Amino acid sequence: MTRLFLLLAGLLAGPAAARQSDYYLREEIPLPPGEVMEIGSIALMPDRKVAVTTRRGDLWICEGAYGDDLSKVTWSRFAEHLHEPLGMFWQDGSLWLTQRPEVTRITDTDDDGRADRFETLSSEWGINGDYHEYAFGSTPDADGNIWVVLCLTGSGAAASDWRGWCVRVTPQGEMIPTCSGIRSPGGIGFNDAGDCFYTDNQGLWNGSSSLKWLRPGSFQGNPTGNKYHQLAGLPAPPEPRDGSRILTERRRFPELVPPAVILPHGKVGQSPTAVITDPSDGSFGPFAGQVLVGEQTHSQVQRVFLEKVNGLYQGAVFHFLEGFETGIVPMRLSDEGVLFVGGTNRGWASRGSKPFTFERVRWTGDTPFEIHTLSATPEGFELSFTEPVDPAAAARPDAYRMAAWTYIYQSGYGSPEVDPAHPRITEARLSEDRRKVRLRVEGRVQGHVHHLEASGVRSAGGKPLWHSEAWYTLNEIPE
Amino acid sequence: MTGSPARMSPRPTFPGVSTMRRSILVACLALLAGPCPGQDGGQLYTTFCSACHGSDGRGATGGQFPPLAGSPWVLGEPDRAIKAVLHGLHGPVEVDGKTYNLAMPPQGAVLPDDQLAAILSYVRRSWGNQAAAVEAATIARIRRDTPRKEPWTAAELLKLHPLPKPKSALENVISYTYHGAWDDLPDFSKLEPAAVEEEHDGLISVADADRADLFGLVWEGEFVAPREGTYTFFLDCDDAARLKFGNETVVEIRGHGPMGSRARQVRVDLKAARYPVRIEYLEFRGGEDIILAWKGPGAKSWQPLSESRVGRRRDDGRPSIPIEPTAGRAAIYRNFIEGTTSRGIGIGFPGGVNLAYSADHLAPELIWTGAFIDGGRHWTDRGQGAQRPSGDDILKLTGSPALPEGARFRGYELDPSGNPTFVATLDGLTIRDSFRGGDRSLERTIRTGGATRPVRLLVAEGLPLEPAGADWRVAGALELSAEGATLARRDDALYLEVPPARAVTLRYRWQ
Repeated sequence: MTRLFLLLAGLLAGPAAARQSDYYLREEIPLPPGEVMEIGSIALMPDRKVAVTTRRGDLWICEGAYGDDLSKVTWSRFAEHLHEPLGMFWQDGSLWLTQRPEVTRITDTDDDGRADRFETLSSEWGINGDYHEYAFGSTPDADGNIWVVLCLTGSGAAASDWRGWCVRVTPQGEMIPTCSGIRSPGGIGFNDAGDCFYTDNQGLWNGSSSLKWLRPGSFQGNPTGNKYHQLAGLPAPPEPRDGSRILTERRRFPELVPPAVILPHGKVGQSPTAVITDPSDGSFGPFAGQVLVGEQTHSQVQRVFLEKVNGLYQGAVFHFLEGFETGIVPMRLSDEGVLFVGGTNRGWASRGSKPFTFERVRWTGDTPFEIHTLSATPEGFELSFTEPVDPAAAARPDAYRMAAWTYIYQSGYGSPEVDPAHPRITEARLSEDRRKVRLRVEGRVQGHVHHLEASGVRSAGGKPLWHSEAWYTLNEIPE
Repeated sequence: MTGSPARMSPRPTFPGVSTMRRSILVACLALLAGPCPGQDGGQLYTTFCSACHGSDGRGATGGQFPPLAGSPWVLGEPDRAIKAVLHGLHGPVEVDGKTYNLAMPPQGAVLPDDQLAAILSYVRRSWGNQAAAVEAATIARIRRDTPRKEPWTAAELLKLHPLPKPKSALENVISYTYHGAWDDLPDFSKLEPAAVEEEHDGLISVADADRADLFGLVWEGEFVAPREGTYTFFLDCDDAARLKFGNETVVEIRGHGPMGSRARQVRVDLKAARYPVRIEYLEFRGGEDIILAWKGPGAKSWQPLSESRVGRRRDDGRPSIPIEPTAGRAAIYRNFIEGTTSRGIGIGFPGGVNLAYSADHLAPELIWTGAFIDGGRHWTDRGQGAQRPSGDDILKLTGSPALPEGARFRGYELDPSGNPTFVATLDGLTIRDSFRGGDRSLERTIRTGGATRPVRLLVAEGLPLEPAGADWRVAGALELSAEGATLARRDDALYLEVPPARAVTLRYRWQ
């Protein structure tokens, strides 16, 4: 309770608590009147146009979404009633769309503002009429391939070919089965190294939602779609033990790639979606190169720092943006630093209460005081901050607290947090430029989520952290 | 279960929040979100609003006027309440299960933005209401963007700004859908679910299933009992259902039967705790619904745990969203269409003729006349199931691949009137299949590019076929004629031999 009073006093008397609008300006983009714009895909086009698709399958092009005066936004309908599209980009004069049954190249050949050619690049995966058999498509990789993650049937079975798999569709239209073990994706994208990641939702064989690395040839953990290994002519797939732990099972099956970053269920969202990387040169704030993850249930955007240790990805998730008008599904961030998000809560409720939304977020130019990165070191963790810190608190071990846990790897739905551990922070060493702190931590546990709380840290100017928590997934401990 | 209430044991660890801590938090929030400077919202409310809505927010004169305390109309996003205050509201309005038919006078011309903001902030943070304060700038924006002179109706406002849903006492709900035909509730634990889903709103519904007949649903979650005391649970269903606390059945309705006469109530003693609950449900055929609700300490009226409420069934009929061609352009609808494969592409022509092309079988598998199709199924909820065409005389022409093995779907082109040309490839040759609607007729043109030999195309199968000269009568309803090639019958199927590099036209004419 003392803490609560301190917090109260701090809020009332101390420096004003950080508000999102101090750093990031969130604006609703006016939608075409009377239309149901449950947005499932966003594509950035030349001439500052933005294309979106809706769950009803309409494809619209928006002009003015970058402008200062959003009342000048105009919309035109480019195509109608496609089959629940979820993933779109612009390339070579066309929009490339992943819709439920196929990947399609959509072109306006006679330049009348309306699409007239719909070329099916690949329609080789199965769909059987079950509403849950979603297909989320990526932007192209360095070779021009589109990566598609195929949700399980009813999210618990694999009744059609390649359900529970990630496939790559080449520019020639060949479909290459790439990874198995997928449950219920919410989005797919690349990090700045060009590796592909997707979000998978908590459920069967998925203790918590997470961001997962689609290393070609890997098994992502849910064995429901394993029967298609045979179809691909691949060796026998892993059959993990029910009720085990990811770390235990991946020691048995090297192809099992652990979640890169777990998004602890309830604490960091409940239904992760889009995966994008900040491609800007700092025009969206200090997080260029980091990954952003959309969140449907909590109407948020999370921020993720990734690093590779012993050949596996791992890293930390931080709370970032919130208060969106509905559940966030697709996102795109332009090179000039404008984040576009769209969303819907039809069928799946969200904190934001509107049925659909299209919004943009721009950086105000004020740098929030945040934990910029959190990385694992041989003896603990290293934090870097967006501003120099006040050594008074930052260099004290008791300014930080840590707890760790993992999840049961099981055939049932989700998991409680189990195997709790209480790593001790024994030393906090400040770098000379006062932007980094090295923590010596005793009692870390490989495979666990490590929750760091650093609310005692202040910037050199006396500011508290905008977000003082981070959740680091420690797949590997560096040597 | 009608005598003394049953006692249930809660989940052992209850993460309770101490009352003291909570009251400090509330005080803290109130301090932070203080009223607009310069305006006393409480005083303004007393002056302008309390005559009707009551100084206690419960509606004046014993509830003749709509309450604002606890009303979802004033909670959540503020736009709904702001518009009602700015422009007025007339006609029937339902609040907490009671309908009022009055007129709220517009205040927009009477009060400036800062005073309206102060009043609304007061209403949203008084009498137990806990919603964010309203800023004068928000009111100014809505005033500017909504040039409206007429008062709103409730329906108009709710369409723009749906009410926030009340929080359900069921939390962490997971639904399991099963497919099957059962006379009574089966042992679901021995069955494989067809779908597993989280239900974030904490309200169970038969809409959680992907079909309307022959299914079972199981929901697992936690019932959060806010206080210790005796709770009453209400269960009604079509067909069977059971509510379990842990392993113990609290109330059940067995076998097949309708709603109403079989509804049951049961009393249970609970502590202030979280209880693991399991609800099992079975639907055979015909109508389907489940109502589950509770009353208890602090809740005198039925609190819904299902989308359907006591005394108010869910709307069975999905909204109808007809998709129609416009005068000059055909409509397209890609989705699950009943009667063809999952890769269905519906085309509705302006003349009232429609088809569903299967991109799996490369064929117009269904044709029908009249209305095209309804988007209501796929464009509401999660869009479960396949939609049946809207019109009349639905004819299933074929149900198997129309081109030889190895043919692949390559997409389609739309001409300026939306008429489609479907494209397929087969061993290096391209087959272009164009459709155009006429008056109770359909013209289909097939062109093969790069072909050196004829391509055999399946046109109809499994239907009564009668020759009529060189033409054919199909199912007694449709006349098929070919130009540039000959229709040939083999067994119960009709084929077209498309010669190389020549256009062939097929006409479908309804009699």
